Amino acid sequence: MSSATLATVLGADWQTLADAFGLGGIYALMAVGIGLVFGVLRLVNFAYGQLIMAGGYALAFAYERGWPVWTGILLCFAVVLLLTLAMDRVVFRPLREQSPAVMLVATFAVAFLLQSIAQLWFSSQGKIAASLSSLNQPWTISGVDIRKISIVATAVAIGCLLVLVTVLGRTSIGLHMRAAALDFQTARLLGVRANRVIGSAVLISGLLAATVAVIMTVQTPLVTPDFALRDTILVLAGVVLGGMNRLVPATLGGFAIGFASGFLGGALPTDKSQYLPSFLFAAVIVVLLIRPGGLFTRSGQRAVERV
Amino acid sequence: MSAPALIVQELDVRHGAVQAVRGLSLEVDRGEIVGLIGPNGAGKSSTLHAIMGLVRPAGGDVWLDGESVVGRKPEDVARRGIALVPEGRRILAELTVEENLRLGLAARRRRQDLDADLERVSELFPIIRESRKRPAGALSGGQQQQLAIGRALVSDPDVLLLDEPSLGLAPQMVDLVFEALQEIAVRGIAVLLVEQRAQRTVALAARSYVLSNGRLRLTLGPEAADDTETLVNAYFA
Amino acid sequence: MRRVASLVELLVPALLVALVALVGTIVSTSTQTYVITALVNVVIVVALYVFIGNSGVLSFGHVSFVAVGAWTAGILSIPVAEKPAIMPSLAGFLRDTTVANVPSLAIAAGVCAFYAFVVGLPLMRLTGLAAGIATFGVLEITHNVLRYWEKIGPGVTTFSAVPETTGLLQAALCALVAVVVAFAYRHSRYGRMLRATREDVAAARAVGVSVYGQRLIAFVLSGALAGLAGGLYVHLLPVNTESLYLNLTFITLAMLVIGGATSLWGAVVGAVAVSAVDSFLAVAENGIHIFGGVLNLPAGTRVIVVGGFMALVLILRPSGITGGRELVLPRAWGRALLTKSRP
Repeated sequence: MSSATLATVLGADWQTLADAFGLGGIYALMAVGIGLVFGVLRLVNFAYGQLIMAGGYALAFAYERGWPVWTGILLCFAVVLLLTLAMDRVVFRPLREQSPAVMLVATFAVAFLLQSIAQLWFSSQGKIAASLSSLNQPWTISGVDIRKISIVATAVAIGCLLVLVTVLGRTSIGLHMRAAALDFQTARLLGVRANRVIGSAVLISGLLAATVAVIMTVQTPLVTPDFALRDTILVLAGVVLGGMNRLVPATLGGFAIGFASGFLGGALPTDKSQYLPSFLFAAVIVVLLIRPGGLFTRSGQRAVERV
Repeated sequence: MSAPALIVQELDVRHGAVQAVRGLSLEVDRGEIVGLIGPNGAGKSSTLHAIMGLVRPAGGDVWLDGESVVGRKPEDVARRGIALVPEGRRILAELTVEENLRLGLAARRRRQDLDADLERVSELFPIIRESRKRPAGALSGGQQQQLAIGRALVSDPDVLLLDEPSLGLAPQMVDLVFEALQEIAVRGIAVLLVEQRAQRTVALAARSYVLSNGRLRLTLGPEAADDTETLVNAYFA
Repeated sequence: MRRVASLVELLVPALLVALVALVGTIVSTSTQTYVITALVNVVIVVALYVFIGNSGVLSFGHVSFVAVGAWTAGILSIPVAEKPAIMPSLAGFLRDTTVANVPSLAIAAGVCAFYAFVVGLPLMRLTGLAAGIATFGVLEITHNVLRYWEKIGPGVTTFSAVPETTGLLQAALCALVAVVVAFAYRHSRYGRMLRATREDVAAARAVGVSVYGQRLIAFVLSGALAGLAGGLYVHLLPVNTESLYLNLTFITLAMLVIGGATSLWGAVVGAVAVSAVDSFLAVAENGIHIFGGVLNLPAGTRVIVVGGFMALVLILRPSGITGGRELVLPRAWGRALLTKSRP
């Protein structure tokens, strides 16, 4: 099929595809962070988006004062990592013994809490963090504008995923992490510093959140208290769809939902694309019912219990 | 003669309001196998858990090579040279046999002789080498028990604690495990063996402590292994 | 003795509701709105308790029933003449019908019972984390559909022209009805069977309890109550898709958790306590006179306090203020009561 026919059939064009790819990349990166924490803690971090929001505000802070770009990025990372540490100590660790459902409610509360604090502190109006806007400039290839940031996002996502999979699968610390996630107590008995190791996993997810914050502010320079909230919800849906239990399927799920959102959002006429969230969540429910291990996992892997 | 590798002194362990262990004292020397037997609920597992730091004793002390380890976190106790083979083996089924074994290295203190030790464990339990790449969950109960012991051994411990290793095992497997324990003791490790199978333990060990209702009732030597009456009385003291 | 204890279990929450209503009669009109809102919140939180408390399964989706109830009651209550103004694309039947206040509430409860049934049919197979995520999906879908489907409602527009009929008496009565229904359910065979599954699923199944069936019953019942609350809401305040979405989900869950998820008493206490604090803070955000000075809290403090409290309770005392237990009569009182009734 020629590209013209393809375009007519799908009602889309290469531009939409490129944008969808970019969104997929960002969501994939978020999925890695969320999937990692779920993998080691059995914790669905509803408040992940707030970490990204905090990073965004840090970038805005630096931008407003005219600080150099790299200082802003450093500040962003510092703020997000501190907040992640606090979350781990104050919320995740005490709740470790509880069921995943209780943890879901708790992180839900934390998400709201942080959102309100931001609202209090910064008002709903939002701040601008435009330091890296040059990356928003497109490369034009045969009439299609591919924004540099889309490529960066996808590349970073793939890179992080590869690094993490290698670390988890082939290094001692990765082995310790997996062991601590599977059987915390036995891991300790064998000498694994389980608390520390899980803390590292959480920190890594924080690093990823900071990275997402940097990338997101390129495309969306306006940082508001609900920055990344909707995205977190969608990425969570994607992670469930892809397969919560393992990192690669989870990331693929995140990518898929980002791509689908971007593609369908751009390709479908507005009156149909409005209902996109409904279709996505209906798909999530169906997957939970018939293939709880996820779409991209080998069948027979159960992440969730059923009656 | 050097001090015993493991000394437990006046140990008190509580589970909530219930006192599981009262004033227990025992010691294990390098190269000897010591048994800890008794009926269900006697406090045997609680003793091992207290030594490993999984529960904090209400009173008493635990000495490893003259150093107190009471109240330390489990991972620290493991890193000091006490290895526990837990009840039910606690193998990580989703990891491969090899990965389970490598996990035992976390508590290892010396970097040297790593390969030699891994080799020795494979000689002791050939099943480990044969099923290296398979998921550990695919192994039978007896094979998993061997893996669990092997995992404890690669950490190069001074003291090896075993919590009912013969549970659920076929008789040939029990033989295999008990023979392996003798070999392990010969290498200079102090072995504390908790078991419900009184007779075999008493026969194997240099001495066996009989625990009932949290208290030490009796110490038996191997000569008492065939003395059924003494054994039964000891259990129901 | 047992019957006395049971009666206490019902009377105390009921009395609290009555007390709140009484307070509502003596405060200013503007404050009274907060009291009425608190009573409507009681209905929602009791609905949550009926399902979550008895089954042990988390549901993030009950506010979707509140929304559907609000939609149903609201649309049916608006006079036919005024409908085209705010809802030009409304479908035939809805456009041409108007019902009185009480029927609109009843229909709202009924529609939501049906909706809960349809939703519950597939979902009640799930438990734990999956249930949480799936019910969240229901919330999202309902929100999405109500927002854009203008054939069945105002879509993005806020409801207006709905007669403001939710007064103190009606709200209090509905709250009492909710408490009685929850109490009756709790002591019924179905309630007890469901609680058995909460404690030990395998054991319950072994004695023949249908986990799926019992959960579905509770889900439908709680859906009906939530729908009733929605009907009350729409006749009280201007509502739109955003006001019946994440924020309300969060605060009603907070009320249940803080009060104690596994008891009816906990649900009522949680709803009243948090509503009281929330109302106080809301008033303070507008500036109140205290001790001769003016207290003016910045906007958003409410959610911070409530959210912080909820997180604290979850971390430190997950069973809530009441410990998840019903209110029990002290032994001495019970004995005194018994001896008194003897001839």
